[in-house]
Amino acid sequence: MSYHVVDMTDPSELQPVLHSKHAKNLLRFLHLLPARMSSHDNTRSTIVFFAVCGLDVLNSLHLISPQLRKDIIDWTYGGLVVPRENEKRRGGFMGCRAMLPQTEDAELLECMRQYQWGHLAMTYTSIAVLVTLGDDLSRLNRQSIVEGVAAVQHADGSFSASIDGSENDMRFVYCAATICHMLDCWDGVNKEAMFQFIMRSLRYDYGFSQELEGESHGGTTFCALAALELSGQLHRLDETTVERIKRWLVFRQMDGFQGRPNKPVDTCYSFWIGAALRILNGFELTDYAQNREYILSTQDELIGGFAKWPKSTPDPFHTYLGLCGLAFIGEPGLSAVMPSLNISMAAYVHLNQLHERWRANSSGLTHDLTQLKLSVGSSAEAATKTTSSSPLISAQ
Amino acid sequence: MGDSSDEEYLHTEWVPYSERKEWADVTPLPQDDGPNPVVSIAYRPKFREVFDYMRAIIAKGEKSQRALELTTEALRLNPANYTVWQYRRDILRELKADLQDELDYLEEVIGQNAKNYQVWHHRRVIVEMMNCPKWELELTQNALDNDGNAKNYHAWQHRQWAIRTFNLYDDELDFVDRLICEDPRNNSAWNQRFFVVKHLGFTPEVIKRELAYAMNRIRVIKNNESPWNYLVGVLRQTESGQLNSHPEVVEFSKGLYNAGNRSPYLLAFLIDLYQEQALQQNDNESAEKVYAMCNDMASKHDVIRRKYWQYVATHLKSQLSKSSNPKQQQQ
Repeated sequence: MSYHVVDMTDPSELQPVLHSKHAKNLLRFLHLLPARMSSHDNTRSTIVFFAVCGLDVLNSLHLISPQLRKDIIDWTYGGLVVPRENEKRRGGFMGCRAMLPQTEDAELLECMRQYQWGHLAMTYTSIAVLVTLGDDLSRLNRQSIVEGVAAVQHADGSFSASIDGSENDMRFVYCAATICHMLDCWDGVNKEAMFQFIMRSLRYDYGFSQELEGESHGGTTFCALAALELSGQLHRLDETTVERIKRWLVFRQMDGFQGRPNKPVDTCYSFWIGAALRILNGFELTDYAQNREYILSTQDELIGGFAKWPKSTPDPFHTYLGLCGLAFIGEPGLSAVMPSLNISMAAYVHLNQLHERWRANSSGLTHDLTQLKLSVGSSAEAATKTTSSSPLISAQ
Repeated sequence: MGDSSDEEYLHTEWVPYSERKEWADVTPLPQDDGPNPVVSIAYRPKFREVFDYMRAIIAKGEKSQRALELTTEALRLNPANYTVWQYRRDILRELKADLQDELDYLEEVIGQNAKNYQVWHHRRVIVEMMNCPKWELELTQNALDNDGNAKNYHAWQHRQWAIRTFNLYDDELDFVDRLICEDPRNNSAWNQRFFVVKHLGFTPEVIKRELAYAMNRIRVIKNNESPWNYLVGVLRQTESGQLNSHPEVVEFSKGLYNAGNRSPYLLAFLIDLYQEQALQQNDNESAEKVYAMCNDMASKHDVIRRKYWQYVATHLKSQLSKSSNPKQQQQ
């Protein structure tokens, strides 16, 4: 199609992406964080997510040593909350250890359990990290986690982050959808109510708000569209609606992207808006060169990483989302990103393999499958033997 | 990534809990971060100690005045700790505490952490417990004033919740009008206007009034996306939902165009208008206008979206050929 023109710029004139500086920058965050990040104590899992998935997009997972990989996986599983039969359905991952005390006292430990809750954003990022590192998720009980997701859904279809103490809005609708999709299980989750909540949050300008009649926002528009895709409901949007949403999204590009009309651009929206457009097959309608130029204007050339604005301090969040934004425009040296789950395509392929394995197991086909492989193998052998004298496709 | 503990740690004489007589009965509980933790935060000693005592109190299930004060200190160090906020609420319920004090405390906390989800959630729960929204409009107005450009998403969300829950719509249109006068580009305020007007009901009179309001704002600044989006949003509320449902808007936009204005928002509006006509009436003249304007957008007025405008033209062509094909088949 004629509108699909590639932005032509001589590659040698382009400002380079400092791959190895970004990799080193992200790697540092996996070890020790400065005291000034104490207010991020509850979301440590998200920092692991930005760092690990960022290294993955940089094709640099090999920089994570086998020991560090094991430590990340063990630490992540250490945040798993598994409720007992008679307890509230609070399963999932915690993003921190603030509610895990070092004590042998059974009574204290028991009392503390009431305040240990899975958190949807931490559960999503924890599972994404495990998948990205090639873990097979065998140390978690999928049913228990999805019960935890179902337990935090509200009558209006929205989700809270945790069984107690959390607001409910589109961010957690998205997280719920990622978890159910990644665990290939939606038991007890009301997809229809979820759809209704999402559609009630579509605004008059055809962006989605965080909650009902709030202002349209790039981040929540991504959350809404990704949740629709992951729950298999994207096709329920009619063509006119899709075209109007695309318009709202495309209009967010100034050079980089803004999150709301008349707001300044910010590196992270190269992901949020870019991914939303990818979901609607409209990303190629944007200006790649200007997008790239803006993201690179926020690159820290000294210590690596990306910031929201030029000359600002980089952080793992903007670094990861900046890299994803660059991956969408096909930046060399970066691996492809699956937009709605926000993980690499390689990680997504691994996830699909896990799904196949689970599906085979759950339908009791393990035994049959082995038989099938055997019989396929023997018939293949038979076929090889006969090909010399028989046509490959028999005439009808 | 602020550091709320720095100043007070350096400038006040903070007595560690381990040296306080009234806390002598409590054994602090360190955090269990596992044998080989990753993303370890180098907590300052004060942070570490406060949370060690916080864990000890939660593990004992103690809901007392001193526990309440401890949560205040813990939340000052990390206002994002949603579990401590929940524990604080559990203490407040247990002690049957005066929630008016809690609102005063929160006013201060929100003043310092206006972009933190947990503080606003706490505020909402407390207001629900009290069933008293008396201070919410003032609180959110202050948060919006302090924001610099009155776009703080949390403050707007809380304000909408309070208005919706406690039916506080009465003076909201005046408030919104003031904000739009101060900054016609404040999209949050335009969104709030839509929220209020929708509640009041999009009657034919209201629609006419709101269209006039948006057009007046556009006359002042033509290249402003917010009132254009509002204008289209209101037109969609009419019975037909068509952009040509109000001749005064059609005349207005054509008038701007004929006077030489080429704001991308004006052109986008006209493209949509002609596109609707082309599709409804299979009107070739309108389609040609769409193609010409898309071309102008792509080459001159909105070059960053050139691929998009080429797509819009191509898309219309294919829609028109689809809708004309069945007729040919019938003939």
